[in-house]
Amino acid sequence: MAERPDGPWDPGLQVERTTLAWLRTVLAFVVGLLMLLRLLGHESVVAAVGCAVITLPLGLLAGWLVWRRYRSSDQRLRERVPLPGGGLPAAVTVLSVLAGCSGLFYVLVY
Amino acid sequence: MATDREDARWPKRLYEQGEEPDPRFTLANERTFLAWIRTALALMAGGVGVEALNAVTGQPNPLRTALAVVLLLAGVLCSATAFTRWMATERALRRGRPLPAPRLAPVLGYGLGVIGVAACVLLFVTGI
Repeated sequence: MAERPDGPWDPGLQVERTTLAWLRTVLAFVVGLLMLLRLLGHESVVAAVGCAVITLPLGLLAGWLVWRRYRSSDQRLRERVPLPGGGLPAAVTVLSVLAGCSGLFYVLVY
Repeated sequence: MATDREDARWPKRLYEQGEEPDPRFTLANERTFLAWIRTALALMAGGVGVEALNAVTGQPNPLRTALAVVLLLAGVLCSATAFTRWMATERALRRGRPLPAPRLAPVLGYGLGVIGVAACVLLFVTGI
């Protein structure tokens, strides 16, 4: 492991800002999910609770993945190896498109 | 060790070309991607919120549903293009080329203006 420099590796705190952007995005997902669950609760409480049990742990998983990405980015920069790739952004894109499709389902089918 | 990690990165065809850019640019690109995703989520939340008014008021209005569908489609479009744009930007950074133009930004800007006017008209027509 490379020696730890004094203070951050760059004065812009890039990794920290990026991690905060990730956390804001996860938060937006969770808030949107809560909104959908609340609307679903009007139709069926059982379905809403069922969906909550399945989907809310995904929020925790996302938080853990973001934390891991932060650690990995920080480590890679100290070791001067390239940053993590586009797997997590792709996963977020798929989730976001799915969220839009479930919104369209709510509007058009319900 | 570095090569191991480089080989493992996805999408491979992106990381095969060009050279590794300044990590600050890569991180800025990632933040821009996330900002687009949050914009998409806000559009979708707006769409679902507009539609939820139909249920709350008990007076379903087709205009409201149309507005909701437009907002949701804009959200889906925004999230889908967020990733392709992230990739195009990363590719440009790796090749040392100029960044791609944000084609969706003016569409979204003017589009949201039109949607705002439509929402105002809807407000005056329905009173809700």
